[in-house]
Amino acid sequence: MYLLNLGKNFFIFSILISFVSCPIWANKALEIAILNDQNNNGFIDSSSDMTMNLINRKGDVVTRKLRFKRLEVPEDGDKSIAIFESPRDVKGVAILSYAHKVKSDDQWLYLPALKRVKRIASKNKSGPFLGSEFSFEDFSFQEVEKYEYKLIGEEDYLNLKCFVIERTPLDPYSGYTKQLVWIDKENYLIHKVHLFDRKSFHLKTQKFEEYKLYEGFFWQPHKVEMINHQNGKSSILLFENVKLNNGFTNRDFTQNSLKRSR
Amino acid sequence: MSYKYLGVLIAFFCPMLIGEIIGEYSFDNRYFFNSGMQGQERNHSSFTLSPEIFLEEENSILHFKPKLRKDNEDNERNLIDIQELYLINLLEDKEIKYGISKEFWGVTETTHRVDIINQTDTAESFDGEDKLGQPMVKVSFEENWGLLDLYALFGFRERTYPGNDGRLRQPMIIDTDNPQYLSSAKNKRVDFAFRWSNYFDQLEIAISHFSGTSREPRFVVSNENLKEIIPLYEVIDQTGFEFQYLVGSLAIKSEIISRSGQRDRFTAATYGFEYTQVGILGSRLDLGWIVEANHDDRLPSSPAVIGSRLTFNDTSDTQILMGIIYDERSEELGFLLEASRRLGICCSLSIEGFYFDDTNEDNEEFKLFQSYKEDDFLRFEFIYYIGD
Repeated sequence: MYLLNLGKNFFIFSILISFVSCPIWANKALEIAILNDQNNNGFIDSSSDMTMNLINRKGDVVTRKLRFKRLEVPEDGDKSIAIFESPRDVKGVAILSYAHKVKSDDQWLYLPALKRVKRIASKNKSGPFLGSEFSFEDFSFQEVEKYEYKLIGEEDYLNLKCFVIERTPLDPYSGYTKQLVWIDKENYLIHKVHLFDRKSFHLKTQKFEEYKLYEGFFWQPHKVEMINHQNGKSSILLFENVKLNNGFTNRDFTQNSLKRSR
Repeated sequence: MSYKYLGVLIAFFCPMLIGEIIGEYSFDNRYFFNSGMQGQERNHSSFTLSPEIFLEEENSILHFKPKLRKDNEDNERNLIDIQELYLINLLEDKEIKYGISKEFWGVTETTHRVDIINQTDTAESFDGEDKLGQPMVKVSFEENWGLLDLYALFGFRERTYPGNDGRLRQPMIIDTDNPQYLSSAKNKRVDFAFRWSNYFDQLEIAISHFSGTSREPRFVVSNENLKEIIPLYEVIDQTGFEFQYLVGSLAIKSEIISRSGQRDRFTAATYGFEYTQVGILGSRLDLGWIVEANHDDRLPSSPAVIGSRLTFNDTSDTQILMGIIYDERSEELGFLLEASRRLGICCSLSIEGFYFDDTNEDNEEFKLFQSYKEDDFLRFEFIYYIGD
């Protein structure tokens, strides 16, 4: 009976299991992941403007602009709204997401031309986001509970002493079989991620740069680059006007607010 | 109708004074492969202007969007409409919308059964996707128990139809200048509606009810001219139910309505699924499948639609949608093609085609596409988006 009732304690259960299978390394890796996550906790809400540059093999650049609002939800994943600003034909298109720690995220897409709110199947998260090298999955929040962790070793990256952690997505709909993550030993920030596709091929590399500290505890990278090794394309995400404590409430993250969130 | 002209004047001159304007200008050309059954021209083109203005303050939003359409062949396809002119007030526990607006209800893709707030602009397109603005007061609550919208709808908009020189029209002439109403208030009747929706994990449901003038008329033969038919707008009660369940990449959908007030009570339903394959054959292309069946008590058959949508996920947002409509009883086929892509940062181009095929002319059942027999067409649309 006890085992059958695990339900939402599944996470703790999986930690217990990993203790048994690999006592020291798994414990240490999870600890690092939790310390990393703490850089992103307690901010209450945030807003930012994003510019996404899509660069093809020849070096041609096209630009997309978005606005982003996020609300921290204690005991669950965050709520967020991404509003498309450009190109002009998608202006006003918006996505509302309710992230969850373990179960699949809930997502709704608003199409202003049709005035229609459409639920999106969260299984489709491995598809490209706005024609970029980022997938919907890369865009969602990295909750600690979404992965299993293993410490691989330590390595210097850009003059930073880093832990190298292998994390395995627990969501069966993830587009990745595993990810290698470089986390520095000083502030526990992610600097680089190698993403392996379903055939365990090193498909993409994600780099987090230009970290800035807000309110003394919230670290925000201002440049995130995604390089696709298969097609030679890359996408660069630049953050501007990052602002905490906007006074957002649950009412700013509803289907009604999605419809007027242009 | 002079308020419309005033609206148009405001639309074109105010934005210069108050700031941001978006919206679109579009040119479209429909080329029909044959002359019309009533001798209409093969080439029809039109120009549409629909700028939009938004003004936003802390707890209120003003949105204004007029739409003007000029057609070179069909006078009935000319349009001056206010699609949106509303004010939203955000209060502590609700939001209130006053003014003219468009509201979409529904989950299915091919036919929108429950969608009833706005009148359909069938002169624009025979697919029923284009709507006219509706004056209303809407009060909306969104809590843990779901989303509840209450509507009072003021004034009635008549359905538009292609005129004598238009294509994709009915063989009889529709006298849109003399519509008949069952309500003594005629087109001034105040109608009421509500819709409640909620989601439970992967399940989404909605229940709605509309009590008022039917957006869809029946037709009566004119006493003066036997070649003419007159739209008859009756007062109806329509209850709607929407259902959508997501299982992985599969979305199972259904919309059902039950309507009384137009002769016998009847039921109509659209049900089917949408399935998306992400990254087909290791590429970045997505392939979506749409299968929907349409039942209507008033029709002898239930035509089915199978569609497939190819999304390229490229920087130009290229998409191709192909569909087949098949009616088992009449043995008719309809082929649909829609393709679109962005051009630069300002514009987009789309192509739409329809081909009707009666696979068995000896079949004497009711033919769905009888009046569209000569109306196979290809349509090109170029859109310029206003903005910085």
